[in-house]
Amino acid sequence: MKRSLLVATAAAAVLTAGAVQADEIRIGVLYPIAGTGAVYGEPAMHGHNMAVDELNAAGGILGKKIVSFARDTKLKPAAASAAAKELITKDGVNVLVGGLSSAVGLAISEVARQEGVVYVATIPKTIKLTTEKRHDHVFRTASHTDFEGDAMGQIVAKLGLKKICDIQLDYAYGHDLAAGIEKGLKRHAPDAEKVLDLRVKLGATDYNAFISQIMGAGCDGVTSGLWGSHFVNFAQQGSPFGLFQQIKYISGGEIASHEIAGKMKGDYPDNVWSNTYELWYHHHDPSHVAFQEALAKRSGTKETAMWPVLAYIGVKFIAAAAEKAGSMDADALAAALKGMTISTPVGQRTIDPETHQADTGQFWGPMVEKEGVDYRVMDPVTFIPAVIEE
Amino acid sequence: MDSLIQFAQQDLGNPGLAALLSNPSFAFIQLMNSFSQAMNLFIIAAGLSLIFGVLRVINFAHGAFYMFGAYIVYSVAQEWTGNFWLGVAAAGLGLAVMAVVIERGLFQYIYDKEHLMQLLLTFAVVLILSDVAKIIWGTDQYSVSYPASMKGAVDLGVTFYPTYRLFLIVVGPAIAIGLWLFTERTRFGRLTRAATQDREMLSALGVNVPIIYTGVFILGSVLAGIGGGLAAPFNSPTPGMDATIIVDCFVIVIVGGLGSIWGSFIGAIIYGLVFNYGSVIVPNWQDVFPFLILLAVLLVRPWGLFGKPEGGNA
Repeated sequence: MKRSLLVATAAAAVLTAGAVQADEIRIGVLYPIAGTGAVYGEPAMHGHNMAVDELNAAGGILGKKIVSFARDTKLKPAAASAAAKELITKDGVNVLVGGLSSAVGLAISEVARQEGVVYVATIPKTIKLTTEKRHDHVFRTASHTDFEGDAMGQIVAKLGLKKICDIQLDYAYGHDLAAGIEKGLKRHAPDAEKVLDLRVKLGATDYNAFISQIMGAGCDGVTSGLWGSHFVNFAQQGSPFGLFQQIKYISGGEIASHEIAGKMKGDYPDNVWSNTYELWYHHHDPSHVAFQEALAKRSGTKETAMWPVLAYIGVKFIAAAAEKAGSMDADALAAALKGMTISTPVGQRTIDPETHQADTGQFWGPMVEKEGVDYRVMDPVTFIPAVIEE
Repeated sequence: MDSLIQFAQQDLGNPGLAALLSNPSFAFIQLMNSFSQAMNLFIIAAGLSLIFGVLRVINFAHGAFYMFGAYIVYSVAQEWTGNFWLGVAAAGLGLAVMAVVIERGLFQYIYDKEHLMQLLLTFAVVLILSDVAKIIWGTDQYSVSYPASMKGAVDLGVTFYPTYRLFLIVVGPAIAIGLWLFTERTRFGRLTRAATQDREMLSALGVNVPIIYTGVFILGSVLAGIGGGLAAPFNSPTPGMDATIIVDCFVIVIVGGLGSIWGSFIGAIIYGLVFNYGSVIVPNWQDVFPFLILLAVLLVRPWGLFGKPEGGNA
């Protein structure tokens, strides 16, 4: 008797949630908002909120106001998975967006699969999300480790490097990027030989043991995916050894983004080639000027971070798909996302109907000193499109 | 030797071990890496151990103190003055002030309470401090430059080694000896040792025990602050750095024996050696090393290498 009462109350709660839902669109947002991951989660939220505010100012989605329900993923798959479930069952969100770190992305995607809710992955790059772990309701607007590895192969070939040391973080992203680089080298620089494979644990702070191994291995190029503070620590520890005078450092993980270069300033090492999704000082697409100005106003700095654009694009894809589908129904939304093209501040993006992967290219180039500023900039900036030519 | 190298390379398929055996300067650099990492960890762990030894409080917030030290160096050295040493001094001073506030305002009320209460309170301080740090410094990852005089490397004959890391190798033992002299040779030091033995008796003899407690808490916290400040050039001040360090520190003080300065010193060196040679020989096990040492010590000598068994004469 008691149990049936409980079920009835629960059912009533769900119904009420449904009733509130009728006149608003609920988006479940998953970024790391506190702790280590907040470095990325906070700017990502700026981009997310900016897109939502823009859409609401223009009448929302399908004439309804958009309401975001943000939950902290704490950079942990288990926390992300629990948060995603709560967003669906408790807050009654229509769609999930976000994810930071490949492991977190896979965890959210699994919940989306079980619950039949659309998930737009804005930042996770593990290739598995759109290959072996792909399902009907997961879509990715970030780049992925095969695109990234292919671009790195092109740069190794361009610089004529012959002996490569690879150092990666020991989790989904690092493993998949290593595989992506391997394929990229085979395609573009077949005579480059990999002489050393190093794996560092996620969150590691001491790299000296690895730096001396790289220096002893006699490589002329290092490929890597150490991101964020991993790179800052690696560079700060490697520089006194003269590491960056001995090798060319080709890195994924967006360490060319301004949040790294602008913070490291004069400590940013020589001979780094890396990638970024966006550069506040580089207007690849005409619409970028207005986007960057609005973002600068919102974040209170002239020189803006890279992460916002990723979250921004995710929301814009959801809005466009909902308008096209005419509803927020998961299957209709998924059908609309397949093959959908939108224009973004960093150029046009299309989601492949088969793989559910957007053709997200990235800006690549060397990080050089520039007269008049105390931080390094990418120059020349080359846009490497998301195309893999076999 | 050659056959040993060949054995490592071919039969064991272990290029790391082969490199260590065949390249003496590489093996030497790893030794130096072990010591410099150990000495930085020692400075922080010694503070944790000292506080436990006297106050009998396991201070989880010690990692947050370390983080504040690193952030203060960033603000003072990188943003305001451009002088690294001034930054480190400010980190020490800042932590002394924080320590007084936290000890007088919170910790003094829990010395006689059960461990669970103490744990909850220090953990609450961790959460509060990490939010305070976020309010003051935001969520960016900062970079602190090496002091101008220690940017480069020194020729040691066998190999070049970064000046700043050598400086750490020197400063660690200096602090250890200083702490030892302080506890063994000064009146205050003797009183702190007495306080670890029997605080009631000391109080009955007319000694102002609360002042000793505050003093020890300040000293331990200043060590965390200076340790964080000295780490800042190679350990980017960033949210979450408190959580990483506290685990390492606990391993070191438990291995060395809670409350023992030389225990922390040796514990840190063991940690450094195992980490640096371990990451070369069995790279996939990096995560496990600290806990393997911990496990081994807990099995053989649960009170730590330099500690005293609980319930003994202590």
